[in-house]
Amino acid sequence: MGNAMIGGRSWIGLASVAALLLLWFGVTATGLVSAGRFPSPADFWLSLTQISLRGYAGGGLLAHALQSVKLVVMGFLVAIATGVPLGLWMGWDRRAEAAINPVFLIIRPIPPLAWIPLAILWLGLGDGAKIMVIWFAAFVPSVINAYAGVRNIDRPIIEAAQMLGTPRWRMITEIIAPAAAPMIFTGLRLSLQASWTTLVAAELVGALAGIGFVLNMAQQDIYPGMILVGMVTVGVLGWATTAALSLAERRALAWNVAGRD
Amino acid sequence: MGSIRFDKVDKVFGPVSGGVKALDDINLEIADKEFVAIVGPSGCGKTTCLRMVAGFEPPSSGIVSVNGRAVTRPGPDRAVVFQQFALFPWKTVRENIDLGLRNKNLAKGERDGLVAGALKLMNLESHADAFPHQLSGGMQQRVAIARAYVLDPEVLLMDEPFGALDAQTRVVMQEELVRLARVNPRTVLFITHAVEEAVYLADRVAIMTRRPGRIKEVLDVRSVRAAENWDRHERIEDVMDLESFVHLRTQIWKSLREEKGAHGA
Repeated sequence: MGNAMIGGRSWIGLASVAALLLLWFGVTATGLVSAGRFPSPADFWLSLTQISLRGYAGGGLLAHALQSVKLVVMGFLVAIATGVPLGLWMGWDRRAEAAINPVFLIIRPIPPLAWIPLAILWLGLGDGAKIMVIWFAAFVPSVINAYAGVRNIDRPIIEAAQMLGTPRWRMITEIIAPAAAPMIFTGLRLSLQASWTTLVAAELVGALAGIGFVLNMAQQDIYPGMILVGMVTVGVLGWATTAALSLAERRALAWNVAGRD
Repeated sequence: MGSIRFDKVDKVFGPVSGGVKALDDINLEIADKEFVAIVGPSGCGKTTCLRMVAGFEPPSSGIVSVNGRAVTRPGPDRAVVFQQFALFPWKTVRENIDLGLRNKNLAKGERDGLVAGALKLMNLESHADAFPHQLSGGMQQRVAIARAYVLDPEVLLMDEPFGALDAQTRVVMQEELVRLARVNPRTVLFITHAVEEAVYLADRVAIMTRRPGRIKEVLDVRSVRAAENWDRHERIEDVMDLESFVHLRTQIWKSLREEKGAHGA
């Protein structure tokens, strides 16, 4: 793929974002959409400066954002540190799969958000409850994709490792895990998305800080400008964490032709 | 030492009653340092024979043994070269070759020497730090052969190793293998459906029937090769032109064709 193509494509992307902003400006400036329903760019800017400089809902934008990022990262790490090994184990060991799969099938249909009341009941409005709910939400895609990753390994790869006399632990760390890595990373991306979805929902329901809390306060204050600031912040943070994960993936899978695009 | 023995071996896939019988009463002995090729129509179970020696599949009845010991599981004494190479794509060429040595718990210094030797043997020195996907198919199969040879295995099991290569590369690899076999003779079980390849490489060629696969006949190539002095020719095409070569090839072709004809295929 030539550089001209990439350049051309990013121009198209920029143009469509510009068009969206223009449309936003147009419909709000002409009064086509009233300020009470959707904020104008000026309202958005006022809200953004207010929360950044003077604070809102008990803190500045940076403090709220850091609180949310901290919980997402912690919940995500707990989820993948438990989910990926479990998935690898289930993929590798038929007995583990036989034991764990039925439990999984029962718990899996429960939407992660349905755990929020129980989590708040157990752990209150603090960080613990949110990390627990993120864990439940982000755990499932990690497990399923790691499991599928192991199951999809070409049999000759495993047989070659067996033929070379590879001992059990090295088989897992040097053969199974890297062979399943492309699928594992797919799972991690889904887990990260689930982490954000769940965190914002949990903060909407019960929290004392964070972007979800800002959104909840702004809704109660009937403050469309601040609602939009909260939404955009979540979008930017979600994009940034996903980009960080993609960077890690490119480094970890440098050997993978398919991953190179 | 490395002898292989199939003793009244049957293989049934699926349920024991009502399954598909893939192999029927296979009896074959391969002596130490002997190169035996198995040819047969596709689906005749020739690859299954190799997989049983490798320890990837158990026989349904009978015994497959190496050096008199029944095979129970895969191991580095029986190195396998796969048709699709089966390299580890996340490991460099050097790391691919090194893994089997690390599994033997050899010291770093000793491993480095052995890996360097294997790289040299297969002309891979300039690609030691490349990843498999950066290499052509022929180069990848060189790595797979180096990975097998470095283990100093008692027997070498090659499952259509050149089947995935283009015609030119294939010829180069065949000549290479003959060179290897002279420098460093091994017991080799070689599976192929290419008759010329079998005659060119092997000491003996075993011909299999259609499923359920049986060994129909075993042809002695070695005595013809020695009597007609094939080895004085460096190039494969010169050997293939010899009358004695053509005669053996045609004999095997006819035998295989009877197999197809007998079942109207």
